[in-house]
Formats: sequence, C-alpha cells, structure tokens
Amino acid sequence: MASISLRGVTKDFGSNRALRGLDLDVADGEFFVLLGQTGAGKTTTLRIVAGLEKPGAGTVMIDGQDMDGWNAAARDVALVLQQYSLYPRLTVRGNLEFPLQSKIRRMSAAQIKERVDKAAATLQITRLLDRKVERLSGGEMQRVSIGRAIVRDPRVFLMDEPLSALDAKLREALRVELKRLHGELGATFLYVTHDQVEAMSMGDKIGVLNKGRLVQVGTPAQVYGQPCNTFVARAVGSPPMNLIDGRSEAGMLALGDGRLPVSAPAGRDLTFGIRPENIRLDSGAPVSGRVFDIEDHGVVKILTMMVGDQRLHATVPARTGVALDEVVRFGWQADKVLVFDRVTGANLAIG
Amino acid sequence: MAQIILSNVQKFFGPAQVIKDMNLTIADGEFVVMLGQSGCGKTTTLRAIAGLETVSSGTISIDGVPVQDKRAADRDIAFVFQSFSLYPHMTVQENIAFPLRAVNMARDAREAAVREVAGVLRITDLLPRRPSALSGGDLQRVAIGRALVRRPKALLMDEPIGSLDAKLREEMRAEIKRLHVARGSTSVYVTHDQIEAMSLADRIVIMHDGVLQQVGRPDEVYLRPANLFVAQFVGSPVMNVVPVTLGGGVTLPGAPGGFAMPAGLLAAVPQGADVALGIRPEAVLLTATADAGSLAGTVSNVEPLGSHDIVDVRIGDATLRARTESGFITAPGGSVWVALDAGQAHFFDRASGLALRKVA
Repeated sequence: MASISLRGVTKDFGSNRALRGLDLDVADGEFFVLLGQTGAGKTTTLRIVAGLEKPGAGTVMIDGQDMDGWNAAARDVALVLQQYSLYPRLTVRGNLEFPLQSKIRRMSAAQIKERVDKAAATLQITRLLDRKVERLSGGEMQRVSIGRAIVRDPRVFLMDEPLSALDAKLREALRVELKRLHGELGATFLYVTHDQVEAMSMGDKIGVLNKGRLVQVGTPAQVYGQPCNTFVARAVGSPPMNLIDGRSEAGMLALGDGRLPVSAPAGRDLTFGIRPENIRLDSGAPVSGRVFDIEDHGVVKILTMMVGDQRLHATVPARTGVALDEVVRFGWQADKVLVFDRVTGANLAIG
Repeated sequence: MAQIILSNVQKFFGPAQVIKDMNLTIADGEFVVMLGQSGCGKTTTLRAIAGLETVSSGTISIDGVPVQDKRAADRDIAFVFQSFSLYPHMTVQENIAFPLRAVNMARDAREAAVREVAGVLRITDLLPRRPSALSGGDLQRVAIGRALVRRPKALLMDEPIGSLDAKLREEMRAEIKRLHVARGSTSVYVTHDQIEAMSLADRIVIMHDGVLQQVGRPDEVYLRPANLFVAQFVGSPVMNVVPVTLGGGVTLPGAPGGFAMPAGLLAAVPQGADVALGIRPEAVLLTATADAGSLAGTVSNVEPLGSHDIVDVRIGDATLRARTESGFITAPGGSVWVALDAGQAHFFDRASGLALRKVA
C-alpha cells in the first residue's frame, strides 16, 4: 500500500509535449481517477508511474521514495490494460500463477495456490479456474487480468481504461465490482479513463486532465457541482452543462424571448452554466424554446431545445408529453446557475 | 413510400439459423428500429429486406409485391452503412448524383434533385468538395443524401452513426429523425444502442438469437417488456431481477419480510410458479425512516452520477439498485428503508422468461 506523488513531470514525444509540469498526489488507499480526452496525457502519466516511460523532467515518488532509476519490476506496481494480454494457451489458473512463479519471488507451490484461490474468490472466477482463457467472454477475461494483478499483492494498481472494450451492461456490473474490490483490498488505485460516468461513479477523487496539465482535482460532487472552469463543466456530466454567453442586467440574463434570474456581477462579459436537470419546463415560465430533439432514456427524456440561436439541453421526467418542433416554456432558479469569466473560463465562485 | 411485410422468414448460414420464423409488418412511413446484440440477426434481416442476402424460406413483400427473389437493384430500396462508401475521386455533388446518372435522369432534373436533398441535409456548401475534405458527420450526411436522392420506397440503415463520436452521434441522430419526419419515408434502422432505438423509433423490434422478442412503441417496450431479455436489454441501469417467493406479497431470498403487492398484480401469477420480480431502479424507493411496507436494507455501493445517484442496497441475499436524488446517501455501509413502487413491478416466469401479466 502506498501513496503516489508526481512533481513537475514533463514528457515530450518529439515536438509533442504530452505532459507539462504535472503535479499529482494520490493518497494511500485512494481510488483516484484521471479523466481526460484522447491525447490529454493520461496514459503517459500512468506509464511514467509504472516505469514504462522516463519523464523528461520532474520526480515520481511511490510511498515517499523517489523512483528515479527503478525499473518497472522493482516498483512493485500492477498494470491492468484495456487489452487483456493473457496467455491464451494457459488455463485461468495458469495465468494467475504465472506472475508468482518468477524465480525472484521464491514462493512455494502451496503459497501460490493460496494466493490464486483467494484472488479467484475475490473476483468470483473460481469456477473458471480450469478453463482455457480463449474460451472466456470479454468480461471474464478482464476479471482474470485484474486477478493476475491482484495475486502479486502490489503496492499500487494502475488501470488504463480496463472497461472500455466491454459492452454497456458488463461495464455497469464491473464498475460496481472494481469499487468493491478497491474497498476489500484497501489498495491505492490510479485509474485512467475518458468516460466521465466511470470517473464519477468509482473515484474517491477525480483529476481532470487537459493537454498535459491537471485542471481540477476534487471529489465527484465537487467536480460536478463546482467545476473550476468551463472546460471541467463540459467534461463532467452527460449531457454536458449548458453554457450561455451573456451579461447580467439587474440580476437577469436575456435569453431567447425572455429573461431569467442569475446572481452575477453586472456589466461584464460572462458565461452562465446551468445543468440540464436544473432546467424546469413550465407553461408559465419566462422563456420559450422549440424542441429540436428528444432523447428517450425510459426513466427520463433529454430535450434539445432551440432557444434563439442556442441549443440547450433539458432533462425532463419520462411522462412529459412533448413532440418535435413543439414550443415549450422553461425557467430555472438563480442559485442553480454557475458563473464563469467569458475570457478565461474561470468559475467566479472559486477564488 | 412502402409497406414491408416479412412472413415466416428463415435464414440459415450453413447449419446456423440466424433468423427464426420472423413475421413483421412495417407500415408505410413508419420508422422501425431493429435492436439487439451483435449476432442476433438484425443486420441479416435488414440485408434480406434490401436484397443483399437471400432468405432460406418465407416471403418478403414491398407494397404487396413479393420481392424475395428480386435483385437488390430491382427493389427500389436505399441502404446506408456504417462505413460511408463514397467514391473518393468524385465531388459530393457527383457522389449524390450518381444513382440518378445510373438511371439516365436528365441533367437539369438531376441537379435539382441533388440541390433539394443537399438543402434538407444542410450540405449545400459542401457540394463542390471531395469526400477526403469532409468530417465524419458530413461524410455520413452525404451517404444519406445519396441514398435519399432517388426517392426510394424505403431507407434501410445499418448502424449509420456507430462510428461517430458521442457528440456527433447525438447530432446526427436528431437529424435522421427530423429527416424522417420531413420526408415520411419508410425507414428501417439497425442498432445495438438502446437509447438510439428509444429516441428514433416509432416502433422497436427487439431480436435475440434470431428470434423476435418484442415489437412495440418505445414506452411499451420500456414499461411493459414482454420477457426477461427485453426487460434487461432496455434501460440503464439494468432492471433489477430477483427470484421471489409469493405469499400476500413478495419475499426476496433471505429477507426477513416481504413487500406488499396489490392482489390484482399477483392475480396473473400462477400459484407455486417459479417467479422473478423485475423492478427498475427508479421504482426502488429509499427513505431514511421506516414507512408502512418498507424493509430495512444495507447500502453496499453508491455511484454518484451528478444529476442523480445509483445506490445498491442489500436486502437478505439480494441486491437492488435504486435511483435516488444526488447526495441522498453519501457512503456505503449504512442502513436505509426500501419500498417498491408496485405500479412498476413486473413478474416473470423464470423458466420461460415470459412476463406474467393480466391480459387487459
């Protein structure tokens, strides 16, 4: 079990700067999710912690120890990737035993069996132990890959989009399993993904990464409720936060054919943010919009409304009867609106 | 414009039967979405309608005319694939006009038709460009334009937006729906994405293992699933399904007490049947204090999703997922009271998987 800390880490690939002075702290036993788009630097960060890449500058510490000069094997970290990279000819048991049979571990057969059986029980794959890996489903293979990481009892688990190749239902189930596993092992998890649902649902903390820099670190509630800027506001939440450029005049924002309350400094170019679930449809509300699209989730509907020349998303109860091109009226409460600087994108409520 | 009828359609690939006795009537002007996992037979069905695949037995008729022995070109149907399949050496204009040149349409009429369809798809500006200069969404717009330009009897689409990124997918989905409303052409659309199906379809056709599972409006499929497969395929998070014993109410395995259910609901369930309760997360109601009819459970997981949370609660040996307001429960481990919205409860025969309902 160990903390991870990165200080001023940079990494260039040719002329492309993947990481720009990255500072990152993951506490002992924390489930930390790095969230970012393709190219944000998340996989590079993971590979640098694992010792598969050397940083251009900066230090990587695991458990307070500078990892400079330590190779990947010596760091005692386990890496789980999107591709399962199991040995297809071996059984599940053979795959799980493999990392323990290394000469440097000097483990007895009985010790190995105990470790493997325990890991299999934790992941509920005991009944699969004697099967060949090539006969497993995607979800089972990913459980075996995680199992192969667990048996080594590493100080740190590094996971690179382990659920991305699985279908939606399986991802849903494995999210819960991974979180339970984290709780049971009490280990430090550094998990990278581009999927904000995974980040929100599993992370103790989320670090939002953009172009090689950490933009915000916080609990899921902090990152969702008080994004530090418009980048984070767009990156977390689906559908994303509505962002509306405008000015506050006498506590009101002009929008489409009406005005809605905001609590923001007057006479300044601002961007107003409102989450789709905080827009309320009401026939007596001040602003009208034309329904452009209806996304039906069964439990709720997500409307796309044309309001003036803006498109706004609104989440409404499933029983709301609306049709394409229908004109609806909506409003919001001023305290649900976040206010960002138009130029820098910074959230004015965060110093 | 066309009505499409499939009667007793069977399709074998070698010994494997991929379509099993399919009967389906698609009304003129209807938007039908075929939904299922990969390998369920949805694409084969679509290709059989298009004439890209023969059927082993059964008939397919378009506007009352049997077409199962006709060539694809003679069925007057247009097809849009996930891969865009445009001619790279032609401009957008030439790509869209191509099907019209093939039938020797006069130049003026051809150009008018291309302009009209380009206007609908908002790609008029792109007409002089080559496909290599276009984004993924624009490429698919052009492919749809080429399919629609000759005003086919029906438009068939096989995961047409599956390769686009999430934002573009949402955009294109809205456009495809609006295009359908504007043009009114009979459309058959294949996808594995249940939200796409729910959002686009007049009716959804759900397939599994080559067998048609249910045909219905999106709300019917969601609110009255015909069987366990449909119940767990449509909706996210997945519907909770738990084997239960029935008495005056329902008892979950290992639970100290049962949930009350109205007698009317239980009347459709045969005595002594092996039954599972199906209940969606939004119908599992959590409260901090005991209400009449609620049972105590232990929170085993919390997924904060921002707009709402998904909370897993253990009752006896079962786990139920509940959809709650965000922040209602902040951490696992505590206890909570659970009630079920009986109006949204479903019962399934565990052996057949079929929903047990009173016939209305």
